[in-house]
Amino acid sequence: MDEEIKKEEEVVIEETELDRCSKEREEYLDGWRRAKADLINFKKEEAGRLAGFLKNGNENIIKDLITVLDSFELGIAATTEVNPEVMKGMILIKNQLEDALRRHGTEKLEVKKGEMFDPARHEAIGEMHSEYPDGSVVEEVEGGYLLYNKVIRASKVRLSKGEINNK
Amino acid sequence: MAKILGIDLGTTNSAMSVMDGGEPTVLENQEGNRTTPSIVAMSKTNERLSGLLAKRQAVVNPKNTIFSVKRLIGRKFSDVEVQRDSKWLPYEIKESASGGVDVKMGDRWYTPEEISSMILQKLKADAEAKLGEKIDEVVITVPAYFDDSERQATKNAGEIAGFKVRRIINEPTAAAFAYGANKMKNEKIAVYDFGGGTFDISVLEIGYDAESKEQTVEVRATGGDTHLGGDDLDKRVIDYLVSEYKKQEGIDVSKDPLATQRLKEAAERAKHELSTSLETEINIPYITSDATGPKHFLIKLTRAKLEDLVRDLIDRSIELVKEAVTAQAPKGAGMKLEDINEILLVGGQTRMPAIQEAVKNLFGKEPHKGINPDEVVAMGASIQAGILQGDVKDILLLDVTPLSLSIETMGGVATPMIQKNTTMPTAKTQVFSTAADNQTSVEIHIGQGERPMMADNKTLARFILDGIPPSPRGMPQVEVTFDIDANGILSVSAKDKASGKSQSVKIEASTSLNKEEIERLKQEAAAHAAEDEKRRIIIEIKNQAESMIYVSEKGVRDAGEKVPAELKESIEKKIATLKEVKEKDDADAIKNATQDLSAELQKIGEIMYKDNKETPAAGEPKDAGEEQGTQ
Repeated sequence: MDEEIKKEEEVVIEETELDRCSKEREEYLDGWRRAKADLINFKKEEAGRLAGFLKNGNENIIKDLITVLDSFELGIAATTEVNPEVMKGMILIKNQLEDALRRHGTEKLEVKKGEMFDPARHEAIGEMHSEYPDGSVVEEVEGGYLLYNKVIRASKVRLSKGEINNK
Repeated sequence: MAKILGIDLGTTNSAMSVMDGGEPTVLENQEGNRTTPSIVAMSKTNERLSGLLAKRQAVVNPKNTIFSVKRLIGRKFSDVEVQRDSKWLPYEIKESASGGVDVKMGDRWYTPEEISSMILQKLKADAEAKLGEKIDEVVITVPAYFDDSERQATKNAGEIAGFKVRRIINEPTAAAFAYGANKMKNEKIAVYDFGGGTFDISVLEIGYDAESKEQTVEVRATGGDTHLGGDDLDKRVIDYLVSEYKKQEGIDVSKDPLATQRLKEAAERAKHELSTSLETEINIPYITSDATGPKHFLIKLTRAKLEDLVRDLIDRSIELVKEAVTAQAPKGAGMKLEDINEILLVGGQTRMPAIQEAVKNLFGKEPHKGINPDEVVAMGASIQAGILQGDVKDILLLDVTPLSLSIETMGGVATPMIQKNTTMPTAKTQVFSTAADNQTSVEIHIGQGERPMMADNKTLARFILDGIPPSPRGMPQVEVTFDIDANGILSVSAKDKASGKSQSVKIEASTSLNKEEIERLKQEAAAHAAEDEKRRIIIEIKNQAESMIYVSEKGVRDAGEKVPAELKESIEKKIATLKEVKEKDDADAIKNATQDLSAELQKIGEIMYKDNKETPAAGEPKDAGEEQGTQ
């Protein structure tokens, strides 16, 4: 009889031990699976990040080049009395620079006189009276640019304050 | 489980971060930027704008564009600070019914809490869009000097924005968390925060209660100037440039908005550039024009000049630091400067070398500056969020290798197999070859340390793999595998791919170096870095020379009678010269002799090709096998 009780006790102990081991095994297996899944997910995220980086990684250099393009445009606009061929050459160089930027995903923002101010694309730098409705764009002072649909520079614009009342 | 957002709600800019995979990650906003201007506006078309969009219309809508609302939140209208600010803020404020402040935007009056909540709402929406999940909980940071009412008002702002505010924590504490302070015990930390519009200094004391096993962070003193910031520095630079231009050209460009804008951008860029270079050129073609035609702007700005322009502002910040640390309570912490264990730099302006230098000189020790100073507070807030969520509690502690584990290769060089700080368990396999012809055994010498020469590192084990079939050098492929298990036990095995023979060794103590020993080895590596590098280069050059000698001897041998006697003699002479200089440590001489020999050797190739052309073999790559042999 005693012997049987002892055996039963042993069985109970072994079962508890087995339970503990099974639970531990589950925990470990779960941890291992999670670690593997984490790594796979990390790799996927990293690939996405890298793709984003390759796309937008040159944003800073493009911004710098846009500043050069601004100066170029101002330069061409200020040039008078010059040999037409020289002028044509200057414009071709400017086009070259614009094409290079376009090839790398840069696009100029279109701004039309009289369109309503949109802070998602425009940055207001001043106001003036004009024939256009109050709050609409009168003049683009500096061009804005998109890089793969992200506004990397808003176009700087002057807005209309409406017509002068006494006019 | 939904993530808890950490938000640094700043006076000028805000930032947000979440814990991702156990690490704080800064989130970009909808516009793709990592910081968001803390600005809200009611546009002329009665549209509510927040962040960058609000900033873009500020010039034409100053009365309805609310910025710096953090200066007003939770304060009484009668506060000296509020009175002072009301004089320069372009929007309207008035005393509220409860004695607080009300702000006018559009045709309505708002509390500063409501305005702040609009910024928080934008951050919430942008974070949700970025993460693709709903976010309900938040940790928001506030300056250490904020009183109960300012903290409560900030909390209210969070709740109005739809968050459950899990905690309001101090900005310097958040910064300290980002630098790992949540694992520190008994340290005194000074946090120097030079932001866009404000300067704060905080002295923290981190304690540890052994009984409750809890860390305590006590703010011992705060100080600063709410009207000193990076914007003041920018203004100094712009004013200087305008006055210089006036001197040069007699034109005041500050009247022209586009010229001012271009100048402002150029000045900011110059300031950033001068953090890493000593001189920069501010070049703005066609900035303006007068009766004589277009005018350009070209001025050189040196780092010394920049520092000269802002020296008094830096000095002022340093005086405030001194006061906060050394003055007796309640003005300061009543400590000595040398009592401070760690100094943390926060705020974009602390990238300026002159500021880092001034802080270093004051405390006599290097400040921490590894983390992006614009993002460090937000990152700390998300670490606090992670602690609340139970994320920052390493369930599975994974150790790292404290020092690199290397194998000795030709010339006594220690070639790292597992770099230091690699998370364990890990394994790495690499194929090596023999250094001499008919070499039938290789010695695998395993070492630990950062020095490039094996002799300077600690040897862990050596064993010999023999039974490699005799073959020319470089031909046998010996695959060596380093494997460290989670307990830091390193197993190294080497296997000859041709014979299949292998040998291995198990090293139990690869990571059991004590802290002092690791530190000593690291310091030695740092101290000898320069001379070690020189030695490594010499060995590399010598190895190249040896390869060249081997290739030349083989080339002459293989070409046999095809090589004219004179050329053969000349090559042999050059081989002898190289062998002689190789024994000395003159890198240039060895390099020259190697190049000489290489040039001479090419003549064999020319002759062989010529021969091939003379006996056309229908373009058969007859020499392919030979070429492979020399690799």
